[in-house]
Amino acid sequence: MRRRSRGITKIATTLLLAGIAFLFAFPLFYLVATSLKTKADLFAPVPSLFPPAPTIDPYISVLFTRGFGGLLVNSIIVGVSATILSILLAFAICYPITRLPASPRLRAFVLNWALSLRFLPPVAVVIPYFAIVRAIGLYNQLPALILVYTIFNLPLAIWMLRGFLDEIPLEIEEAALVDGASRWYAFRTILLPLSRTGILAVAIIVFAFDWAEFLFAFILTATPQAMTFPVGVQGLVTQFEIIWNDMAAGGVIAILIPLSLMIIARRHVLTGLTFGVIREK
Amino acid sequence: MKLRKWLAIIIPIALVASACSSTSTSSGGTATKLTIAAVQGVEDAGLKALAPMYKAQKGVTIEIVEAPYDDLYSKLVNAFKANDATYDLIMMDDPWMPKFGTDGSLSDLGPLGIAPDPDVAQVVWDVGTWPPPRGPVPPSETSKPKQLLGVTIVGNVEMFMYRSDLTPTAPASYDDVLANAKAQNKPGELAGYIIRGKATNPVVADFLPILWSQGGDVFDENWNVVLDNDASKAAISFLVNDLKGVAQTDPGNTDASDRDKIMANGQGLQSSVWPGEINTAVLDPAVTKVAGKVTFIPIPAGKSGKGVGMMGNWLLGVPKASKNQQAAADFIKWMLQKDTQMTYAQNNGIPSRTSVLKDASLTTANPYFPVLADALQAPPNWRPRTDQWNAVETIIGTHLNKALTGGETADQAATGAAAEIRTLMKGAGYPTK
Amino acid sequence: MTAAPVQPFAIAARIRTAWIARSRQEQLVYKLLLPVFGSVFIIATIPFILATIQAVTSDSGEFIGLDNFARALSNPLLYESLKQTGLYAAIALPVEILGGLGIALLVHRTVRSNVARAAIYIAAMIPIVIPQIAVGVVFRLVYAADSGILNVLLGQTGPNQPLWLSSPPLAMIATASVDIWQWTPFVYLVMFAGFQTVPSESVEAAQVDGATNWTQFRHIELPYLRPLLLLVLFFRIADVIRVFDHVYVLTGGGPGTTTQFLSLYIYRIGFKFSDLGQASALAVVVMVAMILFYRIVSRFLPADRA
Repeated sequence: MRRRSRGITKIATTLLLAGIAFLFAFPLFYLVATSLKTKADLFAPVPSLFPPAPTIDPYISVLFTRGFGGLLVNSIIVGVSATILSILLAFAICYPITRLPASPRLRAFVLNWALSLRFLPPVAVVIPYFAIVRAIGLYNQLPALILVYTIFNLPLAIWMLRGFLDEIPLEIEEAALVDGASRWYAFRTILLPLSRTGILAVAIIVFAFDWAEFLFAFILTATPQAMTFPVGVQGLVTQFEIIWNDMAAGGVIAILIPLSLMIIARRHVLTGLTFGVIREK
Repeated sequence: MKLRKWLAIIIPIALVASACSSTSTSSGGTATKLTIAAVQGVEDAGLKALAPMYKAQKGVTIEIVEAPYDDLYSKLVNAFKANDATYDLIMMDDPWMPKFGTDGSLSDLGPLGIAPDPDVAQVVWDVGTWPPPRGPVPPSETSKPKQLLGVTIVGNVEMFMYRSDLTPTAPASYDDVLANAKAQNKPGELAGYIIRGKATNPVVADFLPILWSQGGDVFDENWNVVLDNDASKAAISFLVNDLKGVAQTDPGNTDASDRDKIMANGQGLQSSVWPGEINTAVLDPAVTKVAGKVTFIPIPAGKSGKGVGMMGNWLLGVPKASKNQQAAADFIKWMLQKDTQMTYAQNNGIPSRTSVLKDASLTTANPYFPVLADALQAPPNWRPRTDQWNAVETIIGTHLNKALTGGETADQAATGAAAEIRTLMKGAGYPTK
Repeated sequence: MTAAPVQPFAIAARIRTAWIARSRQEQLVYKLLLPVFGSVFIIATIPFILATIQAVTSDSGEFIGLDNFARALSNPLLYESLKQTGLYAAIALPVEILGGLGIALLVHRTVRSNVARAAIYIAAMIPIVIPQIAVGVVFRLVYAADSGILNVLLGQTGPNQPLWLSSPPLAMIATASVDIWQWTPFVYLVMFAGFQTVPSESVEAAQVDGATNWTQFRHIELPYLRPLLLLVLFFRIADVIRVFDHVYVLTGGGPGTTTQFLSLYIYRIGFKFSDLGQASALAVVVMVAMILFYRIVSRFLPADRA
């Protein structure tokens, strides 16, 4: 009896997962399909699911003719730098409030402050940020974006990291400290490996947000020297033109880069995901 | 401790590295580079084609930084507020000029050597002058001397297009338009009139010529709101009731590119159109199915007895903050030269010189040029010259869109929009009633 | 990596003696690390202060007190916008959070292969990294009448087809569906990572004791996930208030004001109406309201584990 219901459950869950996968994959499929269409296909009175005459012209147009290759590089630089900085700062802030005997009020204050940053509609701080960045001479420079992105994603990084660090019992580090290790040694050899999952999750999500960010990249940059890729792709949607294929190509390229980075780093992804915390009971 | 050390190392390195790789903006003295903030799309195609020519002739590099319509506006607002010197020249849609003029962000082009040329229609010089030489002037500007703050580089006037193979006689009035539409309308196959009805700017651009031709208006000579008088109400009703009855399936979400697509596929009978849409969409040889079947005419007449076109010129202006004032003005002068304008027109630019527009060699490729020349001489109407125009347009556009999608009646749209505009204008210091 | 097993009494005694000696060192580390927080705090708070200043001064720089706030709060369109944003959140958030959690649970329990788990994890990242504008345009190409693929696939063409972007109820569902598509994977990413940190011994012990799937989830895994769940909840609420790009492309705030959510409304006030004072005032109000809301909720559902 149990075996049969197990079998049915298995089929049901597989179908369910497949259905969900299909729903999520469809817009992506259509994005790719659109990126391979010609202008004539876009004008067709009845849109087609598959491109009738697939062409990679849109990709060539986006990367070379329009010169967005440089924007891609900018996005990568900003994304990687800001992610590293976010994680470093998040650790620097999370460590004292999770591993050290910080007062609960301080801990609550830090967390509340971090969350409240996220409540602020960016539209309102766009001008102040613009004014500040200009005042310190970083307008239209990549470091401005790196700093702004770090600050904006810090709340998320802090909260996520705290959630993961909280799972790791203090006793493990305490034991090492009692045995005479320095705090830094305990951090490096014990805590860091155990928080791999957390770091990975934070890195992925923060990078993803930095990669796709538009508003501040748009406001704080003026020329292709510092513009990021989303700003370029945004420019492909104009009032009168129908160049959705180029824009879709831009979207696909925007997905492929982080995806490739993840696939290159897949071993770390695997370890991070499967390495559970070993606890004493 | 080690953590802080790493931070102290990484951050300065990142900052220094990025700073070293950046190029500096042009400094004072003889300019070698001019940066133009332009609108992305068909409007700056001609400009982009001309940039290498200018470099070859005068040795000045032209860097064109593009942004789509709304984004360009936000960018310019920010840049002016912060007195930013990044841009030496800016492209602005003519309804934006009042705001930039009122804020004092642009330089007077007269002293920089630009004087009106009779070969260019007078309305072009008028639209670039602030305060405006005709029509109501915002109260805060009445005492200011008139200055030329912008020169047209895209001579846009909204026109009307229709399928001459289906209706051989040009519609002389909107009554004709409606009659033709009703006669030919086949829901799902052929729309009698394509309404460009997406919220705010799109629907207002489509609607204003109808409003004016029917004798209505937004403001009168003294900034009183007349959007809810009888003529205006009738015009709104004409749009959201009569025209909607013969329109395409989803007017509330149709923007210009959608409208062009419908027309190019032969699924629409008539619509208003901007010159920039013609060669790149409606009659683009790669995609059009109606080559040779579309005729362009000025906006048909309405109850007012006249057909009133609407101008949507893109102007080139020089921000006061720019460090290359004279070089920027020289570029504008060069753009206005006849030979430049000829090349400009051959590269999808829309010239403003009458002689160029009427030049026979260009008419085959651009059949609407002579119509445009006449429309500019008419003269066409311009959008109300107030720094609050963007807000007014948003209010009207939201209500029109609501009415088009069945959220309110034409009457409610008129009274609702009028009330909001009154509150807005009064709050901004206008003597509106 | 496991600590050497030691008698409980010995541990307690050793920790106590080491404690006093270490407290000075701890204080030192504390003091060194807090400057990081301090400087970030200052840097991040300055724009907020500037925005507040912007909210209480006029365009020409004079102090006008709460004028902007009064104007902001007396505009009926604000409340319309709040209502629509609330509706949007009510549709999108439950689906995202429960859906993300559910899918994470499902995958965690049924997908055994590590490669598959990692692959799904990487794939879940995709909707987050697409530029917002691309999301907006693709979904516009799906939902639009006449030029969208959805109605074609549903066989609904012609003048009576559902107008996903122009009919108020459908437009709301359409924009919410984009949000769901984009953010359920985010919830999934966080929750799935959370599942990995649940100690395997507890799970095995429970299974040995004969716990059903549901009991195992509710009593073993859920407590570990609670902080992450609350994180996801608060961050999603904060993000829904800021949703802008894809709605702007899909509907422009229409039909009428149906999808004019809070961020679009503030953008309209700040950039179309050029009323930056009012926009800043609105932003400050929103922020304060959210902080209060968070304070109240976290009193009943503390994000910290006891």
